[in-house]
Amino acid sequence: MKDFFKIAKEREVINDAIRSFLKERGSVEVETPVVVRSPGMEPNLSPFETIVIEPNGSKHPAALMTSPEYAMKKLLGLGFEKAFTLTKVFRNGEEFGGTHNPEFTLLEWYQQGADYWACMDETEALIRHVAQAMGPQAFAHVPQTLKRFRVRDLFVEHAGVDLDKADVKTLTQTCRDLDIHFDKTDTLSDFFYRLFLVRIEPELKDGFVYDYPVYQAALSELCKDGKYSQRFELYIDGLELCNGFTELTDAREQRRRFEQEALERKALGKTVHPIDETFLELLPSVRTPSFGNALGVDRLHMVLTGRKKIEEVLLFPASEIFNRCDGKNYVFPKRH
Amino acid sequence: MSSPNDIKKSTVINQNGELWIVIDFQRVSPGKGSSFVRTRMKNLKSGKVQETNFKSAESLTFEDVQYKRMQYLYNDGNLYTFMDNMTYEQFSIAKADMEDSLPYMKEGLEVTVVLHNGQPLTINLPQKIQYTVAYTEPAVKGDTASGGVLKEAELDNGLKVKVPAFIAQGNEVLVNTETGLYSERVNG
Repeated sequence: MKDFFKIAKEREVINDAIRSFLKERGSVEVETPVVVRSPGMEPNLSPFETIVIEPNGSKHPAALMTSPEYAMKKLLGLGFEKAFTLTKVFRNGEEFGGTHNPEFTLLEWYQQGADYWACMDETEALIRHVAQAMGPQAFAHVPQTLKRFRVRDLFVEHAGVDLDKADVKTLTQTCRDLDIHFDKTDTLSDFFYRLFLVRIEPELKDGFVYDYPVYQAALSELCKDGKYSQRFELYIDGLELCNGFTELTDAREQRRRFEQEALERKALGKTVHPIDETFLELLPSVRTPSFGNALGVDRLHMVLTGRKKIEEVLLFPASEIFNRCDGKNYVFPKRH
Repeated sequence: MSSPNDIKKSTVINQNGELWIVIDFQRVSPGKGSSFVRTRMKNLKSGKVQETNFKSAESLTFEDVQYKRMQYLYNDGNLYTFMDNMTYEQFSIAKADMEDSLPYMKEGLEVTVVLHNGQPLTINLPQKIQYTVAYTEPAVKGDTASGGVLKEAELDNGLKVKVPAFIAQGNEVLVNTETGLYSERVNG
C-alpha cells in the first residue's frame, strides 16, 4: 500500500536539503524553459514534440526539454559562476517504471573554475548531506566509501580488454570469446556498451566510474591523451545516479559533435532538431575548466529509502496514469 | 524482420535456427551512443537461460506464436494441464517451463498459454489475481489508522504475502504477479 504522505514528505526533505547544500556553497537557483526549440540532440533520446502557436497564428516546432543543460551553460557563458536547477525533464519512449519514467526530476548544477574531479567530491558531499537530513536509516544506505574506478582499468580487469588499443576487430573477437551477442553493424561505441552491460555493470555496486572513451564523450572535455573524456557516472547499489563532466568549451568541437549526432538521428529516422546557436555562441565565454552534473532525484530518493522501483517514490507514476489494467482513468485507492 | 524495440514478454526469437523465448526485457541507454534492449531469454530446446543484449537498430527474426486463454485444471507433480474453454482441448506444460508462475497457480485460474506450431511453450499470468485470505492474525488495535503496517497472510493456494493490518481472514485480495506484492482488497 502506497503511503502518499510519507513519499511526499521524504521528497520535500530531499529537495530542501539539496537546496540548502548548494545555496550554502554560493550556487544560485535558476529556472530554465521546459518548452524549447532545441531539446537534447542525443541519438537515443526521443523528446516529446509539440507546436508553439502565437496569437497571430505563427507556428513554431518545439519540444519538451530532455535536460536543462543548454540553458544552464548559456548562463555560465553569461557570467554565472555557480548555478543549479531542480526541474522536471521529459523523455518519450522510456519504460514505465523500474528505473525509468517518461518525466522525472533532475538536479543539474554547475561551477566554473573547477573540474570533474572536484565535481565528484561535491557530489559525494551533497549525497551525504541529503542522507543526513533524511535521518540515520537513509544515511546507512550510502556506503561509507565511494571508490573511484577508471573505465580503462575496469575493462582490463573484468573483460580483459585494453581500450587504448581496442578496435572493432579485436572487440569482435572478445565478444566471440566471451559468448556475447554482437551485430555486424556494431561501432566501437556499441561494442563498448555490450561489454559494459555484461562484464562491467554487474561488478559495479557502489562508486564513481570515470574517464569514458572518446566515443562516449557527450558534451565533455577530453583527457590530455585525447582517447578518453573527463566524464563520470556514480553508482550506488548498482543504480546509476548521475552523469557529470568537465564541460567542453570549444564551440567548434561542440558543433562537430552536434552535427555527428544529427546524422545519427537522421539515420535512426528521428526528428533532427536544430542546433541551439545561442548556446554555441556563449560556450566560448565559459571558463575552462568548468564542471556540470545531472543527478536523477527520483533515483536518489530510491537509494536513500532502499526502494527498488521508481514508481515507489513517485506519487503518480506513468504506469498508474496511463496503464490501469481496466482502461479507466486513474482513481485514488480508498482510504481505510 | 523485426526490431528489438518490438520485443515483449514471451516473444519468440529465432537466432541461427535456435528458438528463444523472452522471459524479461528492459530498454537501456548508455550516456552516449545507441540504445539497447536487454533481454533474459530461455532456449526452448536446451532450457538454458541467458542474457542477450540487442542494439535497437539490429534486425531480428520473430517466430509466429499464438496466445490462447485457457483454464488451469490440475497438475501431476511434473505436468500442469490447461483447457481451452472454447474447444475443450487440453494442453500440458512441464513444471520447469513455467517455474516463475508456480506460486500463483490455483485451480480454475485463467491464464494465457503461449503456443508455437500448436505446441504449448509456457504461460503468462494475469497482472493481478484474486485470492481468499486463508489465515492472518487479527489486527492489533491502533495499527489500522495509517495503513502503513504490514503483516503476514497465507492465501487459499498457500501463497504467503504481506498485507495491511486491516485485512482479515476470509477477505478477498488482489496480488500483483509482476511484483509478487499485495495490491488491494476486493470489496464484496
